Amino acid sequence: MTVTDVPIAAPSPVLAAARRRGRGFAPVLPALALVVVVFVIPVLALLLRSVLEPEPGLQNYAAFFASTTYLKVLGNTFLVAGTVTVATVLLGFPVAWFLAIAPAFWSRLLFAIVILSMWTNLLARTYAWMVLLQRTGIINRTLMNLGLISEPLPLINNLAGVTIGMTYIMLPFMILPLHATIRSIDPAIFQAASLCGASRFQAFTRVMLPLTASGIAAGALMVFVMSLGYFITPALLGGTSNMMLAELIAQLVQSLLDWGLAGAAALVLLVITLAIYMIQLRFFGFGQARS
Amino acid sequence: MTFLEISNISKTFGKVAAVNDVSLEIARGEFVTFLGPSGSGKSTTLYMIAGFFEPTGGDVRLEGRSILAEPSNKRNIGMVFQRYTLFPHLSVAENVAFPLRVRRRPAGEIARKVEEMLALVRLENFADRMPAQLSGGQQQRVALARALAYNPPLLLMDEPLSALDKKLREEIQDEIRRIHRQTGVTILYVTHDQEEALSLSDRIALFNQGRIEQLGKGRDLYDAPRTRFVADFIGHSNFIDCTITRSEGESADIVLPDGGALSGISLHGAAVAGARAGLMIRPDRLRLSALAETVEPGIDAVLADATFIGETYHFVLATGWGASINVRIPASRVQPDDITIGARMRLHWEAVDARLFGH
Repeated sequence: MTVTDVPIAAPSPVLAAARRRGRGFAPVLPALALVVVVFVIPVLALLLRSVLEPEPGLQNYAAFFASTTYLKVLGNTFLVAGTVTVATVLLGFPVAWFLAIAPAFWSRLLFAIVILSMWTNLLARTYAWMVLLQRTGIINRTLMNLGLISEPLPLINNLAGVTIGMTYIMLPFMILPLHATIRSIDPAIFQAASLCGASRFQAFTRVMLPLTASGIAAGALMVFVMSLGYFITPALLGGTSNMMLAELIAQLVQSLLDWGLAGAAALVLLVITLAIYMIQLRFFGFGQARS
Repeated sequence: MTFLEISNISKTFGKVAAVNDVSLEIARGEFVTFLGPSGSGKSTTLYMIAGFFEPTGGDVRLEGRSILAEPSNKRNIGMVFQRYTLFPHLSVAENVAFPLRVRRRPAGEIARKVEEMLALVRLENFADRMPAQLSGGQQQRVALARALAYNPPLLLMDEPLSALDKKLREEIQDEIRRIHRQTGVTILYVTHDQEEALSLSDRIALFNQGRIEQLGKGRDLYDAPRTRFVADFIGHSNFIDCTITRSEGESADIVLPDGGALSGISLHGAAVAGARAGLMIRPDRLRLSALAETVEPGIDAVLADATFIGETYHFVLATGWGASINVRIPASRVQPDDITIGARMRLHWEAVDARLFGH
């Protein structure tokens, strides 16, 4: 049989030509200049301070990695960011799925709730969690009234509180990219899987998960990296004994005026973040679907 | 025992009856097409057999057993969809293997079956391609291989060629016919394209407004339409407005708008004397003669337009009462010099080629 029709995904020749000539670069310059001035230069300055203060050398890095306190802070940071990432995937996936398949009214309503919660002032939302999570807060009182617990649970001023609050705050950053991925899948593919004999579970593991992996990865990267450097929520819901890295940096700068060590800590965080980003790029590209 | 028995099946969405009391019996190995305009209920009926819609009433029995209680993944039915539904993350071979993998068949059997199926659709050399690297026609052939890989007794096809261009569509129609002969699978095929239906099917069920308007061989639907809708939908038809002067059973006498009377015409649908009706004649059953010969039955008309379209000439004739009538005559029987636009001519037909439909 002769094949006369053309492949479906032909790249646009106009775009390809523009890319070859490097056109379209000029409009990028203002944003690029802003990034250089407010990001690249300060980071370089911090890097310099971390190796120059109080005297030239790598002693700030040596001090950071020699201190069990600082390493514990680093561990806390990873623990919270990891837990938050896993929790947002588990909580966000059903929401993203519902947004994609629900009737227009319910889908729009839920979307509005997700977006509105993201747009509400971060401090206000964090203080709201303080009210909910404290010893005499609604959650503890309800559980005690139901007789499920006799003592209030320690839900605040510890990593549990930080994890709960940050999971809520990070949820939209998981839902939005995941929703975009799920919406791009033709539901007829799942009908085909079902008629092929796949149970709901098989359709989920063999079709849904592979097709949404790039969306999960994009959301997870966003949540994990944002969580690593988060400050306000850990500062308000966390305790002094179990800090996260951003809190440590703030304390080093504000209370101890140790710019060198703060710079070293910040740079460790930045290097870890970049490393995770590189791993993500290696496996999932720049967020577009693999073909 | 009937292979597939659809009895009194209905489906309402809100207050709209999408499928209204449809019954149909299909023999093993038969190729039956559901033909009809969009929204006529043909796809909805197919989707109820597939298990994607739950019928509001009625039953579907496959080999004597009702399948309505089973979820679609337990029905063991194959289906090719209108849209491309290959799994984009799996290669061609992995797509065809998918139904066998979820059934946990041994690896050797899967490999053998994938090879056999890809040979059946003639895509042996594409086993390692990804769906995005295939043309639309190739994707639908892989979908066909995937739908047949687990030897389903019944294959459903929901407008599988509607996204392809005409030439490719005809090529794949030939493939489908060959595969039907080769495998002996029973096929239920949905299309709105009558040529596709006529060229593929053993029988056609013509759907209209949620019901089967007529069921039969393509030739029967063309030659002996039972309703005006069938006559209008299958092939081309002229309907000449007329008035019934006498009706008796399946025969009626009429008077044409120019006063000409015809008697003993086969009547379909109820109509009493005085009622308006449509006299149906296929454009290829009409003849043209010089005015001098008063051939009956016939009418006088003016040649308004003539178009040469390859194998046939297409003439448009204007009647004295302002209607236009289409006529098709093989090009070999037309002398171009004889065509004079504006000439009055005698338009006539054989009495057996005219059918009367009540309004």
